[in-house]
Amino acid sequence: MQQTKLMNELAGVVQSVSSTVSFHPLALICEIRSSLKYFGGIEAVHNKLKPLLIAELQALQLPDYFLYAASPTVTGSLLLARSGHNALVYRKDNLRSALGKLPTEVLWLGKEPNRRLYNMGVRYLRDIWRLPPEGLRKRFGSDFVKQLNKALGAAPEPTHNYIPPPAFTTCCELPYELENLDRLLPVADEMLAQLCEFLRRRDLSTSHLLFSLLHEKRDSTEIDMALRQASRSREHLMLLLETHFGKLTLPAPVIAVRLEVKRFDAFMSHSDSLLAEDKPTARRSQRNNLDQFMEQLQARLGDHYLKCISSVAEHCPEYASQQLDYGESIKAGRHAEPNSLVRKNTEGGRGAAIRVTSIPRPLWLLQDPQQLVLKNGKLYHRKPVAIVSGPERIETFWWSGTDVRRDYYVAREANGSRLWVYRERSGDRNWYLHGYFA
Amino acid sequence: MTLTRSHTNPPELTADKGYSHSGEIEELLHDNPNLWRGCDMAGQGFYGRSTGFPRLDDILPGRGWPQNGLIEIITPCWGMGELQLLIPLMRSVVEQGKWILWIAPPYLPYAPALVQAGIDTDQILVVKRDTSCKDALWSMEKALQTSNCGLVLAWQNWLPGKVLRRLQLAAETGDTLGVFFKHHDSKYSPSLIRLQIKDSASQGRTFSEAEVTVIKARGNFRPLTTQVDLYQHT
Repeated sequence: MQQTKLMNELAGVVQSVSSTVSFHPLALICEIRSSLKYFGGIEAVHNKLKPLLIAELQALQLPDYFLYAASPTVTGSLLLARSGHNALVYRKDNLRSALGKLPTEVLWLGKEPNRRLYNMGVRYLRDIWRLPPEGLRKRFGSDFVKQLNKALGAAPEPTHNYIPPPAFTTCCELPYELENLDRLLPVADEMLAQLCEFLRRRDLSTSHLLFSLLHEKRDSTEIDMALRQASRSREHLMLLLETHFGKLTLPAPVIAVRLEVKRFDAFMSHSDSLLAEDKPTARRSQRNNLDQFMEQLQARLGDHYLKCISSVAEHCPEYASQQLDYGESIKAGRHAEPNSLVRKNTEGGRGAAIRVTSIPRPLWLLQDPQQLVLKNGKLYHRKPVAIVSGPERIETFWWSGTDVRRDYYVAREANGSRLWVYRERSGDRNWYLHGYFA
Repeated sequence: MTLTRSHTNPPELTADKGYSHSGEIEELLHDNPNLWRGCDMAGQGFYGRSTGFPRLDDILPGRGWPQNGLIEIITPCWGMGELQLLIPLMRSVVEQGKWILWIAPPYLPYAPALVQAGIDTDQILVVKRDTSCKDALWSMEKALQTSNCGLVLAWQNWLPGKVLRRLQLAAETGDTLGVFFKHHDSKYSPSLIRLQIKDSASQGRTFSEAEVTVIKARGNFRPLTTQVDLYQHT
């Protein structure tokens, strides 16, 4: 893993002289023949690449020593470099003699085949050239012969090429300063169009964007757009951006806009069906719509203003219902596939899985119970309160020090409100309003 | 489109004379919810969604809640059974796989009570109470416009007619029902239905009963009142 990362870093450096870089065991190979003319010869390429690589190796805290070679074939160069001669072979015809000087160890065959070669009296590659290929194939396998053929340019050499990670940054200098965000929208739209085109060509999507509005002599205003579901839809991104703009106040006129992609994701496509009624695809696209809608809501309201509720198996009434931020509850794995029968059957639905008491509970709960007034033996909220039914005794948390000992009653206020009230069983035995049967 | 017939004869009497040859037209007119005739209140078809309360169905045009649009529920104070009235509707919305959005409710919606009523809380989303009015209305409009929300509940006491009209249009585009809970009635509201819940205990009724008045309903021409047993479903 570590090695792959380092190789990627180095490949990025080597890319400055070649567009085709491939990975091999403990080696990087780049194609330079096509860039020789541009750089003005192999010496120039060498002079350019060496300091760059040394600097990069030092930056990565690695020993800045490496071997290199150039030849018309990939495997040939590899073998030459392994021998440590820093050799340079221009023509394919010369490869045979150049490689012939190398000891057989450069083939990295392993102990046993090496021993066999040694016993056969083979010390250098040129000794192998003299042997019949058929016999070699029989003794050392076809891979061995293939490797030699590759080195001589007699067999094709497919390679794994290095693909640089995608990066997208675009900046648009405005011809004049803008203070009105609405006037920025067409510019932003154009930039998003570029982005979506970029993503489409690479079959990617994005889930994290950074929009920066640059000001003169001032830090830029940054809009951090993190998407719940990766997208490359221009309309959707535009809608989100507009929502963000709706909340934004500009501290100063904008002189430039920059768009940067912080995170790329693979693009998951789904086909839109023509006759969509209750089909999985239809449901998924509906789900997509929903995600987009939720994202928009979250962008406008802020993360902590959108809540999900769920019931908890807890005796104490105020802890039996919990509120979670919508984003958190997504992470907690809820809402994975709503309405899916499979889930309902296996889990019984999350909400229903938790058994709740059969004694009626009010639809509204007061966050902080409100104390009721007791005057001349009568209970008052705003109007007189009459007990309808009860009590239901709830005693819990005796182990935690903050005892809950209450008698709950259903009551009715004179103006018609249905109340859920309780009386403490300890202390001052006060009456409290705890909920409404709305 | 509203069409009122000037003569007040009951349709049963005239049907066998002039309308016999235009039975099909009659049928077409009958099925169109946008068209109502002042004379035949009872036979307006069943285009509404049942409220779950037969007595309330009887006095609502189309025998139930409309498919989309705004409803206002007016109560002098909270806790009059205003939510209980919507429980069957909420249940059907959740069963359809749609979401219910509660916008700035005055108190915490209590999950155990919803579970008791048979509503899956996974499909309920609450916008917190301290959201600014502007943001609340914005979310309401957006929610009404998407087809994923089946029901949007909001607690706003006073809103100008212009805003209500805009929300009404949003509800029509998204084919969604929006419900406003408020304390005071406003006469010229463009909402489809205005309901008032009154306390009926003073008249010797039981705890679970409430008196519901349809102050206004599109397709209805005079206020009607009925007694509803709120807890018949639980």
